[in-house]
Amino acid sequence: MSHSVDTIAAPATPAGTSAIAVVRVSGPLCRDIATSVFADALEPRVASHQPYRDVTGNEIDDVLVTFFAGPRSYTGEDVLEISTHGNPVITQLVLNDLFKRECRAAEAGEFTRRAFLNGQIDLSQAEAVMDLIHARSARAVAAANQQLQGSLGRHLTRLTDDLLLGLARVEAYIDFPEEDLPDEDRRVVQDLLSNVLRGTERLLATHRYGELLRDGIKTVILGEPNAGKSSLLNALVGRERALVSNQPGTTRDYLEETVMVGPHCLRLIDTAGLNPEPGEVERLGIEKTIERLREADLVLLVLDATHPAPALPAEVSAELNSTTTLVVLNKGDLLGQKSPETIGPDGFDSIQISALTHDGMTELDQRIIALADNFSPSDSSDQIAVNARHAEALRHATQALESAGQHLANRGPTELLAADLRGTLDAFGEIGGRIENEAMLDRLFETFCIGK
Amino acid sequence: MGASTLLLTGNIDTVAAMSCNPAIGGQAKGHIVREIDALGGEMAINADVTGIQFRLLNESKGLAVQAPRVQSDKKAYQYRMKHTLELQENLQLFQATVTGLNFKDGRVTGVRTNLDIEFAGTTVVVTTGTFLRALMHIGKNKNEGGRMGDFTAKTLSASFEEVGIELERLKTGTPPRLLGRSLDFTKMKEQRGDEHPTRFAFHETRQDSALFHVEQSGEERLGWEPGTNQVSCWMTYTTPETAEIVNQNLTKSPMYSGEIQSTGPRYCPSIEDKFVRFADKPRHLLFLEPEGRSTNEYYINGLSTSLPFDVQMAMVRSIPGLERAELLRPAYAVEYDFAPPTQLFPSLESKKAENLFFAGQINGTSGYEEAAAQGLVAGVNAVNKARGNEPMIIGRHEAYIGVLIDDLVTKGTKEPYRMFTSRAEHRLLFNHGSAENRLLHHAATHGLIKTERLERMQAKVAQTTNWIEWIESKRPGGEQGTYGDHFRRMSQGKGAPPAMPEDYLKLPTETRQEIEYRVTYRGYLEREQRQVEKLKDIEKVKIPVGLDYSKIKGLRNESATKLAETAPFSLGQASRISGVNPSDISILLIYIESHRRAASKSD
Repeated sequence: MSHSVDTIAAPATPAGTSAIAVVRVSGPLCRDIATSVFADALEPRVASHQPYRDVTGNEIDDVLVTFFAGPRSYTGEDVLEISTHGNPVITQLVLNDLFKRECRAAEAGEFTRRAFLNGQIDLSQAEAVMDLIHARSARAVAAANQQLQGSLGRHLTRLTDDLLLGLARVEAYIDFPEEDLPDEDRRVVQDLLSNVLRGTERLLATHRYGELLRDGIKTVILGEPNAGKSSLLNALVGRERALVSNQPGTTRDYLEETVMVGPHCLRLIDTAGLNPEPGEVERLGIEKTIERLREADLVLLVLDATHPAPALPAEVSAELNSTTTLVVLNKGDLLGQKSPETIGPDGFDSIQISALTHDGMTELDQRIIALADNFSPSDSSDQIAVNARHAEALRHATQALESAGQHLANRGPTELLAADLRGTLDAFGEIGGRIENEAMLDRLFETFCIGK
Repeated sequence: MGASTLLLTGNIDTVAAMSCNPAIGGQAKGHIVREIDALGGEMAINADVTGIQFRLLNESKGLAVQAPRVQSDKKAYQYRMKHTLELQENLQLFQATVTGLNFKDGRVTGVRTNLDIEFAGTTVVVTTGTFLRALMHIGKNKNEGGRMGDFTAKTLSASFEEVGIELERLKTGTPPRLLGRSLDFTKMKEQRGDEHPTRFAFHETRQDSALFHVEQSGEERLGWEPGTNQVSCWMTYTTPETAEIVNQNLTKSPMYSGEIQSTGPRYCPSIEDKFVRFADKPRHLLFLEPEGRSTNEYYINGLSTSLPFDVQMAMVRSIPGLERAELLRPAYAVEYDFAPPTQLFPSLESKKAENLFFAGQINGTSGYEEAAAQGLVAGVNAVNKARGNEPMIIGRHEAYIGVLIDDLVTKGTKEPYRMFTSRAEHRLLFNHGSAENRLLHHAATHGLIKTERLERMQAKVAQTTNWIEWIESKRPGGEQGTYGDHFRRMSQGKGAPPAMPEDYLKLPTETRQEIEYRVTYRGYLEREQRQVEKLKDIEKVKIPVGLDYSKIKGLRNESATKLAETAPFSLGQASRISGVNPSDISILLIYIESHRRAASKSD
């Protein structure tokens, strides 16, 4: 086999489970990437510590990077290993940047496949390599399916339908110039394509997992006054964790912090204390809290374990859901050997901690991770790879659609317009599975009476 | 190739008879004819020198989707082809109907005929067209035969079934033929040919004597200078009355009464289909196409039907200009056997019987051009097989012929398969003028073209490459951009063409056209070329015949089953089977590679 023509990139370690995440790159572009991303020249096989600069020149992270010149590398090709801080957001940003630099998302097991084909792995290990690819692929497929079952899949189906209709309308005039077709009406195509472009952009922007990564899992901290909400927030933020961002509550009437808990990025939102008998002003606070609750992905209900919990305002309890709420019984340090005076509402999981002494905080992390796993699959390196690939495909689709839009506006060559639309279709196919030309022909023959 | 070949046909006079409309080329089909010409096939020259109307389709669009089309003189086309076969060295022509095949140990060994003469052959190519167990329908009337006035091949199907080749049925149809002097052309719109004909055959790489002149190898053949003395086609439309006649008689159509169950082509529907499926379309366009110069017969394109003859008459006469039309031949539908083509290797050899090749409608295709392309590939590979040589496999990144065969053997077909440019992933690379450049290496490897033309083709490719390099690197005096930038700006309506050197202007027109196309569309073409390069590696990996997929560890069961069914020839073909995913391909690649390495170690 000859050397590969394209350069692949993927996370090489399960992200979020360790302090360091490795992104591996293999292929002919590695040398170019090394010189354009890193200020200092890389010496082969020598790790160097320097900032990763993305295509716009922004520093993403301080990373440890090593260049391996082929054939003395894992795959036998030029390889870059980039170790970032163990934060999925950073991994995602690095991957996105590598894709912008013409790398392609690696298929499951592709590094190993290249290593084998380049003779880096012994013949006797062929079966083991095949097993590994099988296992990786099964996980990747599961991760991709999980996404497609959600709104991504639904939206994509609709966008693909519109795109096929638009393409059929363009192709009809290319392949059937002698037919008695109605005058070519590009406005119909234009409308269909603007829909598809808008939809694709929205998908890219609101793509669930992307949003979770960018903004974090919205976690509302709720509770009566003096139950220790702020101490809990400080305890969660203040320990040795990578602080992703710190948005001071100057423009908001609540405090917000973003923290990493295990592999998950949490946006912690503190709320005003809930008084069982609220006054006029506090009513306003409750309404705001309810708004927060409605947008929340997770809720931490903080109670003072030293006295029986007061009843929550009915409109607040109505917003709580046992699958997304964890009851945090605070002030465990004051209880000594005694049992807590409350365990929170019936049917809700609870955990006892002390925000002051940090007792129980490790267990709390585990419980939060378990809850957050419901939003994003537990094996997050697969998910990040899938997610990065999807986002990249959607970006390609957007670019192709914009180019198609220009051809439409300039009355450019039909076959180039068609080429861009097919590019879009291929990009959609990267996410939801290859779309056969037959699907376009079906639309074409349904729309037009073809056949002299 | 010089192989000793026997051509058997039920009727020598109907070799290359055009059963349907008297036209060659059009979108995608015209591209195929030029590809056939690049591979040494005869179709292009034959269509050119018997052409009576030439038109370049999509002239207003880009080069990639322009295609030549010609109306040929039906009889001249057929007789010139017959004459060419007669003059062909190493080819023996004989009239007999093949009634069955002889097999031994899973291999075909020859054929039996209706004359009780048997012929032995190392390899056999089957091209039954629409004749296999063919049944023609006109209303309730049924006649056996593959074409009006012709016979049917009844017993041959049993031979295929004997070796496990599955057969299914397809349907196609053809319109009535009318007497020209009974038509009123003043009520129709004229469609004239192009003043400057676009020919199918590449003339810049040939000696004039080898081309359009009627003299070849010292023999005089039928034909004329292409583009001379062209004739017109005529356009008219159906009327509301036509629609009413059709709609009132739908139950008499065997398609609607359930008489015909087999699938017809969506792109070539009968008139009854058009009125039913597009009821809101007020009228349908019809073309009156002359069948030749020495006949008054006209083909009415667009009026294919299987309605009874009296309904056909009424229908025809409800059309402006055809009020007094006399029908020479009725329209009819024909049903015939085909062998689903997933039973073939990409060489077009049967997977069920060795040395047996299939081409044309028996593979589920429709169209003269699609058939000719397969005939050429099957013929070349029958010789390769007989000589123990590697088959000629044209990739789907190289030519429409490659797309055609890959689609057939990988996906099969549910309706008569016709080529569309949209079926090609890399359409922009397939402009018709580049067929020689694209297929040169196949023509050279398999000895399909005489040395002299081959050398000219090589020179043309070199010239094209060199000039593109020049254009992309040199700047016109005192200017910012390269010549290439100039061409690209010009294509966007900005600026005039750059002044090119004398040497360039001396190049043949088609070469210049090719160079300027490559330059103008560079961005898009390079993108497609990059995609092609990425796929090339897996195209090169051949899968051993008889591979037991169930034994490959890690392959999903679902994929193993699909792979076993299709038995792909290369990893590239495997990757196009629906349901087979990239990780299956990786696993397969490693399996094949590890076995190859193990084998080379033990050597």
